Amino acid sequence: MTVAVATLVIGVILGYLGQRSRMCFVGGIRDFVLVRDTYLLRGLIAFGLTAWLAFPLAALVGGARSGSFGLSDVVTVVFTILGGFGVGYFSTLANGCPLRQHVLAAQGVRSSIAYLAGFFIGAVLFHAWTAPLLFRWLP
Amino acid sequence: MTTTTLPAATAVSARAGAVRVTAVHMGIVAGVLAVTAGAFFEVRPPEAYGVCMACHGRDLVNWTINMLAGTHLTVAPASLVFPALTTIGVLLGALLGATTSGEFRWWSPDSSLKTFAYGVLVMNCALLAGGCSIRLLLRSAAGEALGVVGFGGMVVGVVLGTFWLRWRATR
Repeated sequence: MTVAVATLVIGVILGYLGQRSRMCFVGGIRDFVLVRDTYLLRGLIAFGLTAWLAFPLAALVGGARSGSFGLSDVVTVVFTILGGFGVGYFSTLANGCPLRQHVLAAQGVRSSIAYLAGFFIGAVLFHAWTAPLLFRWLP
Repeated sequence: MTTTTLPAATAVSARAGAVRVTAVHMGIVAGVLAVTAGAFFEVRPPEAYGVCMACHGRDLVNWTINMLAGTHLTVAPASLVFPALTTIGVLLGALLGATTSGEFRWWSPDSSLKTFAYGVLVMNCALLAGGCSIRLLLRSAAGEALGVVGFGGMVVGVVLGTFWLRWRATR
């Protein structure tokens, strides 16, 4: 129950701020490459730096320590690179990262509501279809 | 509705109730909240799971389907008892921001069929990589090598996608 309430509250805060700031986690890199605009890129860097500082600080003041990350096999690394590439490429074509699409959908953008429908159906498709297909070919 | 001829952004910032937030503010708050969720509010395991639009959306959808249809679709350990509601929260928060600032309006800048396909593709890629753009960066910040690798792949994808958009526009 803690998880549901905490993530709901965090979601409301992030949704409100995301709507006010037009924040997008792929738009920063896109705008910088396209027109050398750094407004969104600064937000992306601020997020990374804050989280990087906050992880050890949270552990210091008694938060749950993150466990060590084990070594990964080649297949996982390749999948992570391919998946990351796909996230970046298709998000750029779709005109915004998943967070931005959620915000746009709540602003009344119909194509983003269609994006969300595909997003949630995609989750079921991945576990029912894509993942079994991928892992059948692998040792 | 406003009938002013000012550009939308200027008109909005002049209205009462329209709060100015920059991307840097949003980034700092999101970073603190994402870490706090994992460290103090049990949004773990997996590690660095505080905010992720793809994984949390997956948890919510699969948990609901498992509940209703008795299936056994994958759900992250953090969302086993009750799922993460980040997606719903973001939708509510953005709706609040849009309505209080007068920015809510029905329109469609793109073909819905095309964005539907992009939605399916982004979700599948995100679950393959183990996180959307936000969580890939969060994992990198937590010091996971795999997260850095995924984030690097994402940056390359965004740059190539931007080049493709520019090539198509100038052709």
